Amino acid sequence: MNNQPIAITGMGIISAIGMNVRENEFSLLNNRHGIKKYSVKNNLIHQEKLVGEILRSDEEFYSELNLNPEKAFTRSTLLGLKAAKEAVQSANLDLNDGLSTGFISATTVGGMDATEKYYFDFLDSDNHKKFIPTQNCGVHAEQIAKKLGIRDYVTTISTACSSAANAIMLGARMIKAGLLDRAIVGGTDSLSAFTINGFSSLMIYSDEHCTPFDDNRKGLNLGEAAAYIVLESEKSAKGKNVLGFLSGYGNANDAFHQTASSDDGEGAYLAIKTALEIAKLKTEEIDYVNAHGTATPNNDLSEGKSLLRVFENVPDFSSTKAFTGHTLAAAGAVEAVFSLLALKNQMVFANLNFQTPMSEFDLIPQTEMKQKKIKTILSNSLGFGGNCSSLIFQIN
Amino acid sequence: MKDICLYGSCCISIQPTFREDYFFDEISEYAENGIKVIDPDYKEFIPALQLRRMGKSMRMAVYASQKAIQNAGNPTIDAVITGTGEGCLRDSEKFVEALWENDGGMLNPTPFIQSTHNMAAATVALALGCKGYNMTYTNNSNSFESAVLDAMLYLNENPGKTILIGGLEEISEQTQKFWDSIGFMNKENPQIPTDLNLNSQGEIVSEGTGFFVASNEQKENCLGKISAVKTAFEVESPQEFILDFLQDNEISPDELDGIILGNNGDSRYDDIYQNLSEFLFQSIPQIVYKNISGEFDSVTSLAVDIVLKIFEHQQIPPILNFNKLEKESYQTILIYNQRRGQNHSLILLRK
Repeated sequence: MNNQPIAITGMGIISAIGMNVRENEFSLLNNRHGIKKYSVKNNLIHQEKLVGEILRSDEEFYSELNLNPEKAFTRSTLLGLKAAKEAVQSANLDLNDGLSTGFISATTVGGMDATEKYYFDFLDSDNHKKFIPTQNCGVHAEQIAKKLGIRDYVTTISTACSSAANAIMLGARMIKAGLLDRAIVGGTDSLSAFTINGFSSLMIYSDEHCTPFDDNRKGLNLGEAAAYIVLESEKSAKGKNVLGFLSGYGNANDAFHQTASSDDGEGAYLAIKTALEIAKLKTEEIDYVNAHGTATPNNDLSEGKSLLRVFENVPDFSSTKAFTGHTLAAAGAVEAVFSLLALKNQMVFANLNFQTPMSEFDLIPQTEMKQKKIKTILSNSLGFGGNCSSLIFQIN
Repeated sequence: MKDICLYGSCCISIQPTFREDYFFDEISEYAENGIKVIDPDYKEFIPALQLRRMGKSMRMAVYASQKAIQNAGNPTIDAVITGTGEGCLRDSEKFVEALWENDGGMLNPTPFIQSTHNMAAATVALALGCKGYNMTYTNNSNSFESAVLDAMLYLNENPGKTILIGGLEEISEQTQKFWDSIGFMNKENPQIPTDLNLNSQGEIVSEGTGFFVASNEQKENCLGKISAVKTAFEVESPQEFILDFLQDNEISPDELDGIILGNNGDSRYDDIYQNLSEFLFQSIPQIVYKNISGEFDSVTSLAVDIVLKIFEHQQIPPILNFNKLEKESYQTILIYNQRRGQNHSLILLRK
């Protein structure tokens, strides 16, 4: 193990607010959110839902990405491939230069969008049988890695809404241990009836635009997205344009309840503490917190409490979920890209839709975009099963 | 990276492997495909009310982890790392079925919650009150291996910690039908124990779990050490993949005291093992296990337990000894696995 900083040399993203990094950046800097009524007619979804949808069909992605229409690629793979390609290109990676490269991806939906659609059709006709093996979450990572030409290491993490943050963390740890020279890390999740109805069944799907950290918040809006960043060792990144450094990371478990976070934010508190220790930073050195902030009553209370426990003076913080929706396994990577864009633009992005401070504490998110000197950003991702992860991004 | 020591283990499979003294003396026979595990008495560790709500993966994981901790002398667990190819499959199916059956009414959220892949690792942590690192890998038949790699990383970063590593898989009827419809499964003559020389097509699918207590401190009660792990989605030559790995670990094929092969009776892919048996490992004991355990994504967790048992007993159970070769002492054993020609993996264990 060594303590070399992990350089970030590339990024790629597709979300409801843009098809690439440039478009996402433009939307964030212009307060343009991407939450609308779901345009896909899906018989399994009975209510009109507000979602962060990527307005491009699977067929359009097949054609754009030059994929064989006979082969099975589910939407999470399509989104992931699009974003991962952008990340590899932006880092100017030469994958045949003899250095070792890993692809570590996160998903929770996997091939569920196809499975739910064809579940009662698989056995009756041969039309969609090719989608049977794509149900397994690992398939998306294998398919994307193969298209990118990455062979040294491929794996998939699925820890609910903290998945991509954990994929980013694993990449950094493998590079530090000398197992890889560089890693393309992130996550992807498409919308599905499974997740939309799932969160509705938990009564935490808002029928309005989500309002993170607001006292009257009614829950989340789901979104679909994929995002990847390129991590490189000092040696591998030499002479390259560095977007920022991943200097800290931590994962901890709430061990409180299957889905609910603890009232005192214990898991998030422990994850943030670990990330700060690894980055060797004091709390006052954090300039901006990109919060998980899903706008569910439970998450925002628990996360807010954790911030109050960690920080004597809570720094500027905002949740960008009102722009993209909650993109589940991709969220940690989407917000890693947003953190790098915040560093680039020296800008705290707005926490949209906030009106009323929560009754439990007087934490007020940054509701307007704010230009300021930003060197260090903390990004949180908290998931089902009490899985809490924090990442720290820095520029020199 | 330094080796990691394994201290306690527990497997649940289609053989009574959860019994502490079990050494493949009694073999359960099956003539079916899609074989469910022999259930231990889950109530030993799980209160009845909780047990009723838990999916199969969750209950298997809680039982096996608690038993492994007990077998290791009840250490405090600092982290939980698991691998599962399919996750909590039955709950996923239940929720999809509910989506189709439902007419816009309210759905029961429990299967949705329990369909999340990390729910077994989370439930284990919840049962232990473990607030440390918690991770779940889900990468087809390289899921358990990914967990092992992370475990090695974690223990090298955090010396002195004690963790749980687990692999787990549950089967589910509808998904089995899907797999059957695309030729994955053995239709003709599924038999456990399987005659691996029968030349039949398709896998005999089963389920199971293996949990291990690990630390990088070497103590007297260490059952065996994981020395290295390597995975690859696709390889040009399995032989080269293995030779490169052995070279990296400074050991030759002949210096191994045994090779665990993943033959499962599916003649379409058993050729891969056949070539290795004939050319690379002809002079050392070849050990199989899927003839009595069936096939599933994280089945190599059972193989690791078999190696620990061979280390303990210093003999290979006859039903697992494929080429009938024996050694006087078993100190170093390699596990090689692949599934349907993909996701190749190697785990090197030393006593």
